[in-house]
Amino acid sequence: MLEARLEQADLLKKIVDAIKDLVQDCNFDCNDSGVALQAMDNSHVALVSMMLKAESFSPYRCDRNVALGLNLTSLTKVLRAAGNEDILTLKAEDAPDVLNLVFESSESDRLSEYDLKLMDIDQEHLGIPDTEYAATISMPSTEFRRICVDLMALSESVAIEASKDGVKFSCAGDIGNGAVTLRPHSNVEKPELNVEIELTEPVSLTFSLKYLVNFCKAAGLSKSVKLCLSNEVPLLVEYQLAGSSYLRFYLAPKIGDEE
Amino acid sequence: MAPARVPAKRILGEATNRRNIPSSPASAKKRKLEPTSSPAPRFKSSQNGPKGKVGSIQPSHFESEVLEKMTQDMAGLKKNNSEKDQEWARPGLGDFDAQKDNLCFQQIECEEGTFEDGKACIKLFGVTETGHSVMLHVTGFLHYLYIAAPISFTPHDCEGFKAYLETSIAMHQPVIHSVGLVMRENLYGFSGNQQNPYIKITVTDPKHINKVRSSLETGNLNWKGMWKSADGILTFDSIQYVLRFMIDCHIAGMSWVEAPAKDYRMVPQNQRHSNCQIEASISYRDLIAHKPEGEWAKMAPLRILSFDIECAGRKGIFPEAIHDPVIQIANIVTRYGEKKPFVRNVFCLDTTSTIVNTQIFEYEREEKMLMEWRDFLEKVDPDIIIGYNISNFDFPYLLDRAKHLKVAGFDKWTRLHNVRSVSKDTNFSSKQMGNRDSKTTTTNGRLQLDLLQLVQRDHQLRSYTLNSVCAQFLGEQKEDVHHTMITELFNGTPESRRRLAVYCLKDAYLPQRLMDKLSCLENYTEMARVTGVPFNYLLSRGQQVKFVSQLFRKALEQKLVVPNMRTDASDEQYEGATVIEPARGYYDVPIATLDFASLYPSIIQAHNLCYTTLLNKAAVEKLNLVKDEDYIVTPTGDMFCTTKQRKGLLAHILEELLTARKQAKRELAVETDPFKKAVLNGRQLALKISANSVYGLTGATVGKLPCLQIASSTTSYGRQMIEKTKAEVEAKYTIANGYTHNAQVIYGDTDSVMVKFGVKDLAAAMKLGEEAAQYVSSKFIKPIKLEFEKVYFPYLLINKKRYAGLYWTNPDKYDKMDTKGIETVRRDNCRLVQNVIETVLRMILIDQDVQGAQDYVKDTISDLLQNKIDMSKLVITKALAKADYTAKQAHVELAERMKKRDAGSAPTLGDRVAYVIIKGSAGAKNFERSEDPIFVLENNIPIDTKYYLDNQLAKPLGRIFEPILGETKANSLLAGDHTRSISVAAPSIGGLMKFAKKTFTCMGCKKPLVGKAEAEGAVCSDCAPRIGELYQRTLGKVSDLEVRFSRLWTQCQRCQGSMHCEVICSSKDCPIFYMRMKAKKDVEDAGKELSRFDRDAAAW
Repeated sequence: MLEARLEQADLLKKIVDAIKDLVQDCNFDCNDSGVALQAMDNSHVALVSMMLKAESFSPYRCDRNVALGLNLTSLTKVLRAAGNEDILTLKAEDAPDVLNLVFESSESDRLSEYDLKLMDIDQEHLGIPDTEYAATISMPSTEFRRICVDLMALSESVAIEASKDGVKFSCAGDIGNGAVTLRPHSNVEKPELNVEIELTEPVSLTFSLKYLVNFCKAAGLSKSVKLCLSNEVPLLVEYQLAGSSYLRFYLAPKIGDEE
Repeated sequence: MAPARVPAKRILGEATNRRNIPSSPASAKKRKLEPTSSPAPRFKSSQNGPKGKVGSIQPSHFESEVLEKMTQDMAGLKKNNSEKDQEWARPGLGDFDAQKDNLCFQQIECEEGTFEDGKACIKLFGVTETGHSVMLHVTGFLHYLYIAAPISFTPHDCEGFKAYLETSIAMHQPVIHSVGLVMRENLYGFSGNQQNPYIKITVTDPKHINKVRSSLETGNLNWKGMWKSADGILTFDSIQYVLRFMIDCHIAGMSWVEAPAKDYRMVPQNQRHSNCQIEASISYRDLIAHKPEGEWAKMAPLRILSFDIECAGRKGIFPEAIHDPVIQIANIVTRYGEKKPFVRNVFCLDTTSTIVNTQIFEYEREEKMLMEWRDFLEKVDPDIIIGYNISNFDFPYLLDRAKHLKVAGFDKWTRLHNVRSVSKDTNFSSKQMGNRDSKTTTTNGRLQLDLLQLVQRDHQLRSYTLNSVCAQFLGEQKEDVHHTMITELFNGTPESRRRLAVYCLKDAYLPQRLMDKLSCLENYTEMARVTGVPFNYLLSRGQQVKFVSQLFRKALEQKLVVPNMRTDASDEQYEGATVIEPARGYYDVPIATLDFASLYPSIIQAHNLCYTTLLNKAAVEKLNLVKDEDYIVTPTGDMFCTTKQRKGLLAHILEELLTARKQAKRELAVETDPFKKAVLNGRQLALKISANSVYGLTGATVGKLPCLQIASSTTSYGRQMIEKTKAEVEAKYTIANGYTHNAQVIYGDTDSVMVKFGVKDLAAAMKLGEEAAQYVSSKFIKPIKLEFEKVYFPYLLINKKRYAGLYWTNPDKYDKMDTKGIETVRRDNCRLVQNVIETVLRMILIDQDVQGAQDYVKDTISDLLQNKIDMSKLVITKALAKADYTAKQAHVELAERMKKRDAGSAPTLGDRVAYVIIKGSAGAKNFERSEDPIFVLENNIPIDTKYYLDNQLAKPLGRIFEPILGETKANSLLAGDHTRSISVAAPSIGGLMKFAKKTFTCMGCKKPLVGKAEAEGAVCSDCAPRIGELYQRTLGKVSDLEVRFSRLWTQCQRCQGSMHCEVICSSKDCPIFYMRMKAKKDVEDAGKELSRFDRDAAAW
């Protein structure tokens, strides 16, 4: 028996919105520590890793490990019926055929209930091993989004160079070049606007902007975003959620002329 | 044949050992083969030889069954025949005496030439009944043309006109032989059966005819201003010299001719033009032509050479004559009428081990080999040369190669001393065949039959490789060796070269088998005889020449002259056949089909439509004709006179063709000799095709004699008749008239209508069909006849020209399942679609199990989404035809990418590219997602199952199920519960894959194994007690997979015909090939699983 109650449906809505363009079908693995999701996009360049810890729910109950195979397009359709402020409850049997979603309006006594048919998804367990990153950059998530969207207009890929002076996002396209450089800075009044760089050695990597822009859809989930880089290792983009939950994206670097 | 001798280098840029033979772990155990069903029941085993012989050299099937038997048969042959085994030369002339013996032979080719003092003559090549080759010079035949004589032209003007023509054309030699006045009639248009004076101009040499004709037509020769119009004189009877000769002498193609003794003269040895055994000359007046009927329908013992060459190409490049040597030439020579070839040999470069019953000629130098082969060709003197793709490859390659090596005299393949063989590019285009570039090589006096061209012409197939064509028609396979592989075999040992020689010999033998099986020679011979054109015209020219030949023959009889009309290609369209709007649906009652027998020919006959009966208003008034009595008006408003006035020439021709066909069919029914049967069957087919093509040629606007009035009138009558049939049937078979149901015509197309009589009983429906056919026939003019042919039950009518049904001609047992326009033969979809559609149709129609069919579809879709479908079924193949397509296409893009990956194994121009569609990032185009199946297998790349469902299966399935289930239910087939179980494979390549780590799951409970102690092992700590059971299970799985792989491997070995050689076949069209590759991969993967137990802590 799974029963998980979210105070705000908004959280799940935003998560699903952020990943539904990367992943179509995936398993939500539920166990006593929380709900986890790990899936690669179709072209196997990016990986989405989500962890909603049990603390993010109130209450949370999961007796046995349950894998909820969901088609995210279908899930979006159902979640569209939920108001942002609604209280959302996920319910499923131990060996479920359907996922039961209940939306309770916090203001009125409106209660809506949906059943979503589950899929049986046979998937291999893949993960990116934890590594020590050479550079870790924190910045406002809106700032990161803006950089990606702006550079996207010029080129398909962006070079991220992190040095002790700052981090430089640069791109070169047919119509011209562009670069955005951020220096570490701290805003005492609004700490969410801080830019922090931790560096053990300089890093320079190139990534596909198409994917980064996709990741930025999660900007609404968290005020700040953390980028972790090491040479010749996938980029980690992490959005911290309430509790110690997180939404992480991994993206393989572009090497040479490879598309 | 020790495996050690197998060359190590392999195609596709990988060591074959790794590719072909799975590396199973040491722990994998041998197991007894269980009698499970063969993994590939589609192909019958061709290995009938003794099984179980261990160790000793076991000859391949082809060697043991085919080659060895040949000597045995040859012994029998020797008794009643002069032919000896492996004896090249033709039998000697013996006591042939030109003074006493008539020279009678079957002429096979006819060409223009010169003889004595450069006079034009006709050369007839042929073979006598005793198998001697003949060339006969037919002299004295002069070419001519007609023009209409002006009113004031009198017979006395002939001489003057001749002199005028001579001076106006002004060549330095006499051009005009004679000018005469004769009475003829114009073919085009009815003119009251009145003959008019025509001037016949005969030229001294056929090469002048065009000059004379064009001079007349351009209007430069208006003698004395006799012709009113200044812009040229219409000429008549424009036809090639050779055809003119054959028509005037009544010689049909491939027919027998006879030169009576004393009338012909032998040509002395030193003046001979050819290397034929008998060379003689005769005047055309003395030549006797035999009509190809009765006794003269026989065939001479023609010698047929079938050959194939192998070249040592370089890696990744298709062989080019200036670089790559010819290494082997295999030859098979058969006499027509005998089942076994009497010459079998292979000309080989370098040492080659012997092959049973086959002569091997070894040469060190290529030049020597080529020259010896040419000498062989001359000695064996074949009448017909056949092969597979010889026109476009073998012939030109040999010629180019010899030219490059400067082998003098190699190109003497013709029967004429002074004519060398040359290869030219030609472009053949016709409406029927489309545009086709090809090469032609001259071999004067010898016919050529390229089986590839022939099969392409007459059959619609998925693939035209020799391999798949043989699988289709002979039910046997051959290995498909990629051309880069050949070099490796050649560079090996005498044994490996022997292997290649056997392969080459088989390639030479199969065209011969194909030709026998398809009765090509008979069918084409009969076509030549029926239409009267030389044999080689049938392959090199279009439909028209056949019709023209027939028309001229008939015109000659009736003293008609054919105008040489200037045709300008107009786009004028006339209305074609009608299609009755189909009442779509699934019918589980018998549907009777009524057909008009030879619809268009019989319309032309019934209404006397012809060039000679065509009328215009002026003619009607002038001749004072009465409507409906003397002439009729067709539905299109054209006028034709009735048989009362004149019987049309076309009607004559058609009547003859159709009677001859009936005759041939009658003879066929009683004939027992298989060879004669083949001839007769070819004959009736040729007659049918000729009869049906008459209509088409009247409508061909670019043709020689277009007559849209005839064509459009014909189709309009056809439309009328279909409508009338519908009306008659629906009016008569009603409840009101005492029948049990109201009949309904549910569909009709061109010449057939489908009638639902409503009765449930098959026999009753047949009876009603029979009756209706007779009843409706009686309403039409003879010889139009509506025939009841078959009943469809059940019948699935999908759309216009798309239907399927079970075909019954007698009420006890159905004949076959008949489908039209349904995705079963198209090549641009994958085998899965074909299989599913076929099975579904079979279930719906034969088993009448619609529910079962739905379940089957659901299961298949479910399997597809879970990656359980064998990948060979998902492979799509397309030929890489040209280098630059304007639009990006999946197979072209893939070829590009493969070239980047490994230039050696990438497909080159002309190869078939096989691909599957893989998953790509959102929005990626199809051409970006095509991938090489082998690459997909090796790297475990996920296949885009959704693509196969939505783009390949959805439409055809929808079409079939919509009429049965209705739209909504049909749609649920594609999106029901069964689509909710999917499998996502993780590839071993891709941007992130080299960083990602796969977490092993417990073999017992699927829990991810994360702990240090258990991460490398097989089971989690909870499942440790079950390790024995799980090991057993995994071991069983490995063994099963090994058995499966071995079975596939032996299947391929059988197909290649040798049980102890490595399989070298890489046929992209063969499902087994992919199954084998997949099985190999599966075995390897399962082996890895198994080896996890070795590292498992619990096991120790």
